[in-house]
Amino acid sequence: MSLFPTVGRKQVKVRISWWLVVAFLVFGVFMHLVPFYIMISTSIKPATEAMAMPPTLWPKEPTFAAWGLVLKLSDIAKSVLSQPLSKYFLNSMIMTFGTMILSIPVTSLAAYAVSKLIKGRASKNLFIFFIGTLMLPGIVSLIPSFLLTRNFPFPLPVAPNIPGTDVPFPTLRIWNTYWAVIIPAGFSASNFLLFKGYFDGIPDSIINAARVDGGSEFNIFRRIILPMSIPVYAVVSYFTFGATWDSYLWPLVVIQDSAIAPLTLAIRRISDAFGAAGTTNPLTAVGASAGISELVSQGLSWNGLMVLGLLQAIPTFIFFIIAREYLLKGVKIQGLK
Amino acid sequence: MSVGTDVIEPKPAAQTVEGGRTRKRWLNWLFVIPAILFQFFWGWYPMVIAIFLSLTNAPIRGAITFRGIENYVRLASDPLVPMAFRVTLIYGILSIILTFIIPIITAILLMEMPPKTMRVMMILWFLPLSGIASTLFWQYLYNEKFGIFQYIATAVLGLPPQTFLSSERFVLFWLIVPGIIMYGPGLYYIAGLQGIPKSYYEAAEVEGAGFWRKIWTISLPRLRPIISMTLLFSIIGSLQEFTFPDLMTRGGPNGASRTVVMYMFTLLNNGRIGDSTALAVMLFALIMVFVLVFRLAFKSDPDV
Repeated sequence: MSLFPTVGRKQVKVRISWWLVVAFLVFGVFMHLVPFYIMISTSIKPATEAMAMPPTLWPKEPTFAAWGLVLKLSDIAKSVLSQPLSKYFLNSMIMTFGTMILSIPVTSLAAYAVSKLIKGRASKNLFIFFIGTLMLPGIVSLIPSFLLTRNFPFPLPVAPNIPGTDVPFPTLRIWNTYWAVIIPAGFSASNFLLFKGYFDGIPDSIINAARVDGGSEFNIFRRIILPMSIPVYAVVSYFTFGATWDSYLWPLVVIQDSAIAPLTLAIRRISDAFGAAGTTNPLTAVGASAGISELVSQGLSWNGLMVLGLLQAIPTFIFFIIAREYLLKGVKIQGLK
Repeated sequence: MSVGTDVIEPKPAAQTVEGGRTRKRWLNWLFVIPAILFQFFWGWYPMVIAIFLSLTNAPIRGAITFRGIENYVRLASDPLVPMAFRVTLIYGILSIILTFIIPIITAILLMEMPPKTMRVMMILWFLPLSGIASTLFWQYLYNEKFGIFQYIATAVLGLPPQTFLSSERFVLFWLIVPGIIMYGPGLYYIAGLQGIPKSYYEAAEVEGAGFWRKIWTISLPRLRPIISMTLLFSIIGSLQEFTFPDLMTRGGPNGASRTVVMYMFTLLNNGRIGDSTALAVMLFALIMVFVLVFRLAFKSDPDV
């Protein structure tokens, strides 16, 4: 309450502009809640009602039929989805938690060292080394990274031969495994920035006092810094979870086997099969795919896609509920300096 | 506690600290070595190697050979390449113009609410809807036969049936619309605004500054480093867009929403690794031009 004058709040002009601000904010909140409402209400409509014109605000006869059908989608339409939906869900979980377990310690320890342990020129250079990639378009490394997952450490389609022989160099292949998603995300430049911003705000005197008491640097970090830094860890966990759970292009490139594909790729397949991309409506796609006609006749149309969307949204949502208290406390970032 | 002990005490302590630091300096590097390895092998190394790879044939099988700028020449004669760049530029610039400023304004206005109201609104605003889930939602809304937008256009506004995502002319605009109407405050802006002391605004008010003047002379300058950072990320991010248009339209109709990254993916799927990398390098160069222009424009920072 700092922009509006503290004196003369009762003036008509001030009052009107105050309520305009309130209206603007309430409208924004309202718009933000609309997708949740529409997705939930559509997911409990029968297939035909989900495609009714005019759209109904709330289903006349709410039914959870679509939820049940989506969960056993692979039984009904093998051609659309070869694995049960729970399998994709599990794959996403493995990749997401794997990434978090690897990336958060690696990134936060480095940020702590750059912020507090290493001083002078080395610290400055390391900082640039760590966040430099953030200021460059990362897309250029998409294909070399993809090739690295096939022939680590050679970012080439085929590993070169050992000089003088016909034998190729031995390479490490993580392509088409969970590791292909987890390992490349081992360090996150944007999370580094969040961690460093937070650690910079911790006074040096606390660390020095602990040094006097004779703790090793790692113990100081574990016993003193870590408990103080729960907010930033909560925020970074939430961001990492959200980003990895929703990752799409990278798994599309490195995951081929549908048995280990994440839920995002399953959604791509299903929405493809429904002919949802662009213009077609599910009923015209009937001829295109036998599996889909089966689904539609069983009562699955857009209600099913909304169920899928909700399934994709729920885990991030839960993580948000856990982390919400820390959101503002954990972000102490002050630009790229 | 006397002043004397306060002065004398730190001396031996400081020596221990210094001694400890030199003794353990190498151990400090253990904190950063894993991150250095990851950042090197999955950050810088593939980025630099891309330029080399774009100059080769990069076959899926067989020996790799150096081909000079052959890939670039081939891309230059591909009519889909300039088309993809055109789409990327329009999409990127339009989305920054239409969606970048609103979150800043919203955050500034949100700070005007009483603390309790602000907390509730913030929580509601930050309720996350997974990006992938939201593409399903928007496809449903944009559906030409039974989508809500079509209902609003025909039944409420009395317009003829609209084509939305299947209109070659307007598809990019419709892809950006969700970003405009789903406005909300940015977390970074709120965090930045909370760091501004109340006394600044009070002093400004004593000096006779009004609503807009306070925003212009206090809020925005204090947010400047954060705005400059988020703007940089928006420029880089929006020119590399893939997920949203890919899920919404698959690049259609007739490539009218096919961004450069989507075309890269198509090339990669066709086994044209060298061409795809060359296209990535071209996009890299384009984005770097934008980044440099941006840096020049934001160079004079009054706070430093």
